[in-house]
Amino acid sequence: MLLALSQWLAQDVRAFNVFGYITLRAVLAMLTALMISFIIGPAMIRKLTAYKIGQAVRDDGPQTHLVKAGTPTMGGALILVAMAISTLLWADLKNSYVWVVLATTIGFGAIGWVDDWRKVVHRNPKGLSARAKYFWQSLIGAGVALLLASTATLPAQTELIVPFFKLVTIPLGAIGFAVLAYFVIVGSSNAVNLTDGLDGLAIMPTVMVAGALAIFAYVAGHIVFARYLGVPYIPGAGELAVFCTALAGAGLGFLWFNAYPAEVFMGDVGALALGAALGVVAVIVRQEIVLFVMGGVFVVETLSVVLQVGSFKLTGKRIFRMAPLHHHYELKGWKENQVVVRFWIISMMLVLVGLSTLKLR
Amino acid sequence: MEEANKGLVQGEANAHGVRVKRVARPTPEPTLRFWIISMMLVLVGLSTLKLR
Repeated sequence: MLLALSQWLAQDVRAFNVFGYITLRAVLAMLTALMISFIIGPAMIRKLTAYKIGQAVRDDGPQTHLVKAGTPTMGGALILVAMAISTLLWADLKNSYVWVVLATTIGFGAIGWVDDWRKVVHRNPKGLSARAKYFWQSLIGAGVALLLASTATLPAQTELIVPFFKLVTIPLGAIGFAVLAYFVIVGSSNAVNLTDGLDGLAIMPTVMVAGALAIFAYVAGHIVFARYLGVPYIPGAGELAVFCTALAGAGLGFLWFNAYPAEVFMGDVGALALGAALGVVAVIVRQEIVLFVMGGVFVVETLSVVLQVGSFKLTGKRIFRMAPLHHHYELKGWKENQVVVRFWIISMMLVLVGLSTLKLR
Repeated sequence: MEEANKGLVQGEANAHGVRVKRVARPTPEPTLRFWIISMMLVLVGLSTLKLR
């Protein structure tokens, strides 16, 4: 929105041309989202508390978590509002990728919203049934995947890029691409949701991965940088850097209130949306494998649940003291903050490994 | 998942699943918020690369 305004103003005052640069708009989008979170955060938390939208704590979770019962949840709405406003302000609204990622994020947020609403307002502990949740996730995920597959015009837009290998790309074709995109979007959405179990645990890795994806998007959308670094050139993808930094800014603003001891939890409305956002951006900029590496914390948390349930069903024995993995470490005696910050450090390391693939190929 | 986790922490509560006593949560710690402010300032600093 502001880009169009600045372009109009630039006809008279050339200084407004500076807003044409994606890098500047990305930084401003991050700061704007952060400010919006700070401004509306306290009011939103008061509203959620007034409506008694408090988190129910699982009885079978660590005993130390019982004090968290009643902390307002659905704070993910704060992230979505801040991110959406900032993106609408600073991104080029003529870019179709911006609308695709915004719609996907809001769509998954809506699924989470219904789930949270039923759980905490209607006091229905099951919320949306697992089948219904998966159906709606699949519907949106498949819709986006098919849309991206059908609008791809360059071979690079449907090829699987293998990090660290300059000349290795796997042509997937439209159907293969759509299947991969579907699994990446739905999988990352659920992976972030599973990770969201401790104060600040899910949001900071999301912020870091979003920041890194902003760099990938910028490079993929810049023909000179893309050729120099050997990554696929995706025309228009650069604008997603603005979306990613808005997401990172909104996430940081949310962390202000979600830092231990949390004043608000993001709930499914935040977790499902954030995961889907990371997934769809990674699919557009053709960095699914790099997302798998950078989001290693989400991957390991998900695997811990799969292994725990699988092992329990097959052998009757558990691999971890509790799943997801963060609870395992809590039960081993780590303090909540220690688990969270250590997982952040691991995440930071993995994001750096992911970023190194830009040059190491 | 819930089934797999069921009863995992019973050793810590008693056999009837009595919960730990509810205690007041500590006030927010400033450390993380200082990190966020630092990060914001770093961004402002980085924006000077372009804004000149």
